[in-house]
Amino acid sequence: MAHDFDNLQLIALIDRIAHRDAVGGRSSDAETALRELYELTSSKLFGVALRVVNNRNWAEDVLQEAYLNIWRIAGDYRAPLSPPMAWMGVIVRSRALDFLRRRASERADAGLELDDAITETVAGDSANPMDTSQASQQAQALYECMARLESRQREVVSLAYLRDLSHSELAQQLRLPLGTVKTWIRRGLEQLRGCMGRFA
Amino acid sequence: MNLLNHPELLDKLASAYALGSLRGGARRRFEALARQSPGVRSAALVWQERFAAMTELQPVQAPDPNVWKRIENLIQAQPVAAPASTAGAPVLERLRRMLSLWRGAALAGGLATLTAVVVGLNLGRQVEQREAQLAQTAPQTEQLSRRNAELTAQLESRPEIQYVAVLNDENAAASVLVTFDPRRNTLTLKRVGDFRESPDKSLELWALPRGAGQGAPRSLGVMDGGAVVRLTAAASEVQQAPALAITLEPKGGVPPGSGPTGPILFKGPLLQTPV
Repeated sequence: MAHDFDNLQLIALIDRIAHRDAVGGRSSDAETALRELYELTSSKLFGVALRVVNNRNWAEDVLQEAYLNIWRIAGDYRAPLSPPMAWMGVIVRSRALDFLRRRASERADAGLELDDAITETVAGDSANPMDTSQASQQAQALYECMARLESRQREVVSLAYLRDLSHSELAQQLRLPLGTVKTWIRRGLEQLRGCMGRFA
Repeated sequence: MNLLNHPELLDKLASAYALGSLRGGARRRFEALARQSPGVRSAALVWQERFAAMTELQPVQAPDPNVWKRIENLIQAQPVAAPASTAGAPVLERLRRMLSLWRGAALAGGLATLTAVVVGLNLGRQVEQREAQLAQTAPQTEQLSRRNAELTAQLESRPEIQYVAVLNDENAAASVLVTFDPRRNTLTLKRVGDFRESPDKSLELWALPRGAGQGAPRSLGVMDGGAVVRLTAAASEVQQAPALAITLEPKGGVPPGSGPTGPILFKGPLLQTPV
């Protein structure tokens, strides 16, 4: 029950933010709703930002842009299409990727990012055991299926999605042969297809 | 080759596309196929939804308190938009937004979990049928505008519905649809699932409080056995509630003033329609 109420709460908060411009305006109510939403979700979303950009200061900028984005497009949210955390997570990922693209020209930082990325992979399974009571059904299914992958496959699949990296970009960043990356992704996807198919 | 006749290959391509592994020419070809075929689009959507959950799997980290301060300042510095942007939107615009919602639901083929729907529910099944038809034909402006006109006429003949809830069971299956007409102070409940309470029981509708410690759930009434039930409720009772719930109670419901005694069978958020 607690899990469902969380989702309902988030959906209701997003709705309150979305309706600030309606006649009989609830602008201050919308700000309160955004703060409540922030209190409930910012740690999770900060975690996502950190995974994509790998730098605390950058992640803070990304988080700020993400919540501003949520404020602006709350009216576009459609609950039947995705659970609220997934919707917000994708917004954070998009803003994080935009951020990285803007910084792509800064050569000095590129080296720093490469080293961090390698460290992550060598460390293997970087995900904390997930608090599944708070997660959507989709996230629970994905968590269980990802857990069945070899840690290297899991890592490249995660990075491929979170950082929107092509095979060659992954190979470059992780200093691995292209063929190896392709194989790990292919096998990882194969396993995920089989596993997720059982969860529907 | 029709990709829809090769489900394994479609699954392979859709999952690679959603992950971001499909690039260049292969990606463009897949996107072109997706534009033409709702079946391909649906497969891509399913996988996009699955991978979106990846964002929920990441380790949690508290951000510095100054981040909220910055957000708050930027929000408050924003100019207030003219109210007409949503409230005064023409019916066709509302309709388009509603359709975009239904289109997503139809395409994802029931795999999208319905936790809430914001829509003029009196359109009911006819919208679903029309939407299914729309999803199957290539977008044709003339057909679309004819159907828009039909749906517009239907919408305009209905009482203005502002509040809506879809109450789901534990499996996220829609079971009871609720609309509230504040002009007539009428709650209309429609059973859409298979559940029927036994003769010695009644279903009772509750408005849930805003949060923990904000009071007890308030009864909005007891349902009779009909497929469509009407209850009278004051706007203030309904509008403050973030969510509604239905519990299973002894026949006739609980005594007035008591809280729910039975299990919650169905629940869902209460939302305003996009007017």
